[in-house]
Amino acid sequence: MRLLLVEDELEIQDFLKQPLADAGYDVDAANDGRSATQLASGKKYDVLIVDLGLPDQDGIDLILQLRRSGISSPVLILSARRSVDDRVKGLEQGGDDYLTKPFALAELLARLRNLLRRKCAASEEATRLRVLDLDLDFINRRASRGGEPLNLSPQEFVLLAYLCQNAGRVITRSMLLSEVWGMRFQPNTNIVDVHIYRLRGKVDTEGREPLIRTLRGIGYVLKDR
Amino acid sequence: MSSKIANPVMRSAAWRISLWATLAFAIGTMLVFAMLHRFVANDIQRRSDAWLTGEVAVLGDVAGRTPKDRLYGRVVSEVAELASREVPDRVRANSNEDDSVFFLQAGDDGIPKLWVGAGDGMTNLAAIRSHQFISDGPYDLDVKGFNDPFRVASVRLDDGSRIYLGLSERDELRVLKNLRFRFLWLWLLIVLFGSAIVFFVTKRMLGHVREITETASRIGESDLSSRVPTGKRNDEVGHLALTLNHMLDRIESSVHQLHTITGSLAHDLRSPLTAIRGKLEIVLSSDLKVEQSEPIVSVIDELDQLTEFLNTSLDVAEAKADALRLSRTDVDLDKLVRAMIDLYEPSMSAKGLRVNLRSAGPVTVLADAALLHRVVANLLDNELHHLPASCTISITLKANEAAALLVVEDNGPGFASEILHHIFKQRVKGRDSKRHGLGLAFVEAVVRAHGGSITASNRPAGGALLEIVWPIGAGQFAEVTHFLTVANG
Repeated sequence: MRLLLVEDELEIQDFLKQPLADAGYDVDAANDGRSATQLASGKKYDVLIVDLGLPDQDGIDLILQLRRSGISSPVLILSARRSVDDRVKGLEQGGDDYLTKPFALAELLARLRNLLRRKCAASEEATRLRVLDLDLDFINRRASRGGEPLNLSPQEFVLLAYLCQNAGRVITRSMLLSEVWGMRFQPNTNIVDVHIYRLRGKVDTEGREPLIRTLRGIGYVLKDR
Repeated sequence: MSSKIANPVMRSAAWRISLWATLAFAIGTMLVFAMLHRFVANDIQRRSDAWLTGEVAVLGDVAGRTPKDRLYGRVVSEVAELASREVPDRVRANSNEDDSVFFLQAGDDGIPKLWVGAGDGMTNLAAIRSHQFISDGPYDLDVKGFNDPFRVASVRLDDGSRIYLGLSERDELRVLKNLRFRFLWLWLLIVLFGSAIVFFVTKRMLGHVREITETASRIGESDLSSRVPTGKRNDEVGHLALTLNHMLDRIESSVHQLHTITGSLAHDLRSPLTAIRGKLEIVLSSDLKVEQSEPIVSVIDELDQLTEFLNTSLDVAEAKADALRLSRTDVDLDKLVRAMIDLYEPSMSAKGLRVNLRSAGPVTVLADAALLHRVVANLLDNELHHLPASCTISITLKANEAAALLVVEDNGPGFASEILHHIFKQRVKGRDSKRHGLGLAFVEAVVRAHGGSITASNRPAGGALLEIVWPIGAGQFAEVTHFLTVANG
């Protein structure tokens, strides 16, 4: 997977490069709009990360310019602005995504995965999903573990489904909030933790191997092996 | 009351200034005139008194020397007649009879010996006799049958009889009356003219002030670039305009500087925060012992809190300066509140709190969805943090054509009285609160940025009560303010 990182803050560039490489991306970095355009015209990238505050150009103009020159790869927009302006929301509807700084690394990786998955397998709607001994039935919206049905509320089913779809990957709280509840904000309290705690009480009952792991300070992960 | 509203001139400063100026001017001129009048009246009297005293002395002399024969009456009458022609300031009467002067010689027995003047002199004599304080100096005497009093001087003759010389005060009074009449007309004219001039001049002057006020009030938070008209005047009003413009220059540059500072502050803090957080996460993803990872976890938590604080502070500051950018869409408040309660319910019940919602169905408002989410989340966060266990939170949502009303109440301890009055100010929080005290300030700022209003109070039965009125659509502010009474009634 080729990735173009357009970010003028060298500090952010540096710390992103290694985890992105670890996650399997082949990373090229550009400091400004001009070098980004040059790189993008030379190679084909599967996904782009673009910071809005570039020294020579507005990030959105850069994206529009790349789109006009026939580059259709999805873009993850980074913004230091608090309020996400309408132009970014417009791009988001076109299949791109955005993150406001400061963001969690896990969330950046998850959003990149989402972008790439949306691109390749958007049509593939699973009706059943199995993760280890967990079994999810999307038609009847029921879940069972080891053949024993789990008594989940509709909300808990959606939460478990999201964890299962991203099994083995780190999921942050704000990702859960935006993907499961459709809200993009940082709550002051650990409201998401309580939801996970409840779900865990139903899924990881006594005597069973705990599947939902908490990564303190980062988020959660559902074991897949 | 209606006349006051109907006549704005009466309430203007120009009107009051000219009224008081006129009053002062009128009283002043009146006083000056009263003094002048007194002076003139005294002078006229002094002159006629001098004439009277002189003439009566001459007459007494003549009467004393003239032998008391047949010719005596004629000689004295002749002298009296002559004297009366020398009366100062006199106007001849229309009739042949001269009634402005009389001469009377009377004995102690009260019988007139000699009379020169109009009529038979009996009434004059009766008047003189009834006058109690007869002295030689001139005195005023009212005589029956005459409209005007006489000024009378007398002299005693050697034979015991007295000579009286009377001069009517008619002319004197007429002169004074004339003077008063003319003065009054002139005074009225001057006062009216003067007050008109004062009124129009002050009105013009204050008109400039009003122009400045109107322009200044138009220069709102959004438009700091306008300036008040200065004109070419170099007086106090001109200086006022110039000073105002200088002040606006300074305010504009301060606000601009503030925007630049908050903007770059936000940007300059966010990038390093991102880098720090990312690096900590990388450390955390490597295999660490619990005691090694624990400090890193708490640092990440603190970083997140710092970020949240930074964001909310800037949002509140922007909203208070009416500079919050809203991307408004149709939002179903009912659905949003239900989703939010759903989200908070596990945390609430973990703390032993109950939440119930009363809502009549979908309520669509035009709002910034992300901000509205945070508003409701802040309200619930607030309840979650401050309510003791086993309390109940009641949320009521209703709407009319103009506005939606969201009421959040609980049966907890309520707001502390010392913070209730400024509960929506930044950094105001309960004594035991460990939070940054921006939650309700943020809620209020966002509600107001959307044209709504929020009130906080304590329920009579105990517990906190927050009421948010949120306009439906735009441009219905007037009706929104009346919502509470309509909705509660």
